[in-house]
Amino acid sequence: MAIHFLLILNRQGKTRLVKWFNNTYTTQTKQQYIQEIHRLINSRDSKHQSNFVEFYQNKLVYRRYAGLYFVCLVDLNDSELSYLESLHFLVEILDDYFNNVCEVDLVFNFYKLYFIIDELYLGGEIQQISKSKILNRLAVLDKLD
Amino acid sequence: MGSLRTFIKSVRKAKTIADERAVIQKESAAIRTSFRDVSLDQTTRRINISKLVYLYIMGEKTHFGQVECLKLLASPRFADKRLGYLACMLILDENQEVLTLLTNSLDNDMQHPNAFVVGLALTCLGNIASPELARDLHADVEKILHSKNFYLKKKACFVAAKLVEKDPDLAEYFADKINDLINEKQPAVLLGTLRLIESLYLSSEPEQRMALLKTIPKIVGHLKRVTTSGYQPDYDVMGTSDPFLQVALLSTLRTLATDESCPAQYLEEINDILTQVASNIDSGKNAAHAILYECVKTIFSIQSDQSLKILGVNLLGKFLSTKDNNTRYVALDTLLAVINIEPLAVQRHRSTIVDCLSDGDISIRRRALELSFGILNEQNIRVLVREILTFLENCHDQELKPYITSQLTIAANKYSPNEKWHFDTLMRMLKVSGNSLTSDIVSNILALILQCNDGELKKHIVSKLFSLCLEDPEQYCLALITVWTLGEYGDLILGSTVEVNSKNVQVTEAAIVQLIEDLINKSTYSESETVQLVSYVLTAVIKLSIKFRDAQIIERLRLIINSRTRDNNLEIQVRAVEYQEIFAQDATLKKGLLARMPAPPIKQRESLTLNKTTGAKPKRAGGVASALGGTDDLLLDLMDDNNDTNTAHAAEPQQDVLMDIFGGSGAGQAQSTTTATNSNAAILDLFNAPPASAVGIGSSPSVSEIEAFTNSYIHVSFTPKSFPKDGHAIMEAVIRSNTNETISQFQLLIAVPKTQKLSISSTSGGDSLTPGGTPIRQVLKIVGKAGAKIKLRVKVKYSVSGNSVEEQFDFAGFPETL
Repeated sequence: MAIHFLLILNRQGKTRLVKWFNNTYTTQTKQQYIQEIHRLINSRDSKHQSNFVEFYQNKLVYRRYAGLYFVCLVDLNDSELSYLESLHFLVEILDDYFNNVCEVDLVFNFYKLYFIIDELYLGGEIQQISKSKILNRLAVLDKLD
Repeated sequence: MGSLRTFIKSVRKAKTIADERAVIQKESAAIRTSFRDVSLDQTTRRINISKLVYLYIMGEKTHFGQVECLKLLASPRFADKRLGYLACMLILDENQEVLTLLTNSLDNDMQHPNAFVVGLALTCLGNIASPELARDLHADVEKILHSKNFYLKKKACFVAAKLVEKDPDLAEYFADKINDLINEKQPAVLLGTLRLIESLYLSSEPEQRMALLKTIPKIVGHLKRVTTSGYQPDYDVMGTSDPFLQVALLSTLRTLATDESCPAQYLEEINDILTQVASNIDSGKNAAHAILYECVKTIFSIQSDQSLKILGVNLLGKFLSTKDNNTRYVALDTLLAVINIEPLAVQRHRSTIVDCLSDGDISIRRRALELSFGILNEQNIRVLVREILTFLENCHDQELKPYITSQLTIAANKYSPNEKWHFDTLMRMLKVSGNSLTSDIVSNILALILQCNDGELKKHIVSKLFSLCLEDPEQYCLALITVWTLGEYGDLILGSTVEVNSKNVQVTEAAIVQLIEDLINKSTYSESETVQLVSYVLTAVIKLSIKFRDAQIIERLRLIINSRTRDNNLEIQVRAVEYQEIFAQDATLKKGLLARMPAPPIKQRESLTLNKTTGAKPKRAGGVASALGGTDDLLLDLMDDNNDTNTAHAAEPQQDVLMDIFGGSGAGQAQSTTTATNSNAAILDLFNAPPASAVGIGSSPSVSEIEAFTNSYIHVSFTPKSFPKDGHAIMEAVIRSNTNETISQFQLLIAVPKTQKLSISSTSGGDSLTPGGTPIRQVLKIVGKAGAKIKLRVKVKYSVSGNSVEEQFDFAGFPETL
């Protein structure tokens, strides 16, 4: 149930976002997982292979957008398809928010990226599913800063 | 200290990893120094914390900033609070002591007049709630659930679900809120409510679950509304209206409807709405597939109509024929789960499944493979096995191969149309399987060959193996089996011709010895493989020595054995020396010693599954349980263990036999833990000297013997040997015969509670009881918590006058504890 963690990695394996919803991992495991996931996903053929891959008794759902991998880990019996859809939903929002998002946007505005994630997911669950609601909300919050 | 931007830029500018590390370490040190400044202003603190978050993303140490994060979020400025909470969620987690310091801030902020601040606090609690935080702060969350503000209400639902998950006792505070919340039409709030329902359901006792089941009609209503409502720009995903909500509604329905006490009328409603959803959606896009997928999963987890099940399988069939890998992946995955419920419907998609065997994606291939084994039966075995063999031939995944070969052997045993086909299939498998057969599959195949009564067929097998092995000596398992078979039956094919690489080859004694010599000198096998092969070869050679006539050839055989009497491997060396002795014996004695082995019974193996999930797919687990005839878990564990050890020993079945000729009981005792006499034990007995009398003599029944079980054939009792009360105990099991018939193949299987460990010595004096002979004795050692009572669950298996008997009983009659 729910997403265990969410990662955004670039093709070189540099992390652009790490969000652990499941806090049972040790710091060491976290770093090890990130490396393993990068190795695993980077070696997969995006054209001929599915966007799901088993990982330590759970399942990674991932998708590549340009040079970035968006990855989340879900339970084996969770619906892969809807989590995949939610990753796409996240990317659409990023695209609207940053107006044609690119990797550098995420590097310099990493804290904004987290704010967006927090509007979309709560404790690993998808909490808002209306794009306009999220974007409006973000606009209001940013004004308060 | 520079701004955040300058820091990020300098990190990015670093040319080498060393440069980057230097920049990071310098900045990290600067942040630490800055934190030590007691009069630090909030703006600098904010910059520091944002840099800290950047360090966190890069995987650097950030623990030194934990308290600073708490200080930042206590600031009255919204910007400070926002970043403070953000950093807290990342840098703190529920395992940290510091978390208790957060309680107060969260409590204050959740009661803050500013809704935005409340939102921040809720988000933070939802992400890093610990059981303590959950207990301390649930009252705040309860209050917010009544808020008019949809944004907060929605968040509160999710947070409540999380808190209940962290501490199930909190369920009572939130359970009565559901009735109001479920009427909410606002999609996000509804989503949160569904989440809360699932969370409550999972942490409630059966009595409280009833109330939650009552929400089913409401959920069905929502689903109806969403599917029939037209275009809603806000929630539309590529032409599918509100897929996330639909998926959540379906998933919650599934959770609730699988409850045993779900009323029939609700199930009926659910059946209707599932039909409606499944037939209303135009498939094609991922979002639509996500809903259909959820629908199908629900169909097969609840008690649904037959027609609905067929509809479900057909939907999966449609999924299979799409081009999208993701959709095919989930379809195969679900079909695997469904196969036990609707085998016939799944059968219909056989050709599509077979097509997936040659898919580009390994995970799809794997699933298609597992599914192929799942749908295999008498009717389609010829077709499917052909596909699977092709798959095996092209398979480069070393992990997958043993699975395929094991499954294939099991399936062939079960469904093969005739014996010839069965052996041909096995041989075709050997031809392409390399070294991927597990040792018990090898012995399984050997046993099959032994059991074959049809002389012509046997000849066919031997010559086929011979020619295959000549064609490709690289196939290790093929070589192993061929060597063994030649040893037993080499004489059958002498004088015939076999086809090797489309040339006819005359089978002569010389040709057979040549093959054996070639194999033994092959350097492409690994070290352990060579050891095993050489052991097989030695036995084959000694057996052939009585079958061959040509003195020169027999001399060559003797030289093979001689060449190994100085082998580095002790076991081979011992064996070679022993065989050398036999070689010199007189012919009649050798004839008896080296006669063909009688056919052993075949061990039944259960089919395997590639999937590692346990519990998630209960049907499969059930299958295994029933295969084992409902034995208790404990015993099941024990037997599994035994199987494993058997596998290890079965690696060299016939050596064991011959070992025992010489080793007598000593060799038997060397194998410490397993007492299960494997299939070869019967043969073993033929050779076995009368039970070693040394053990029996003088050990008259001791006074403290406790009777455990008796029937008309056997009498089992236990004698406590040593109870030092430190968590160790040693006892002896004594099995006597109560009958005038001979009891053979006696096996004693014992299970202890999971908290204890048991080791059993091998039997003294073989595995059979003769009338008036010595009893079988086995020493048991139990290690566990001191003071624990010893309970044994015992299963005895034996055969008497040709019938095998199985008895099970529990024993807890020891007066003393561990």
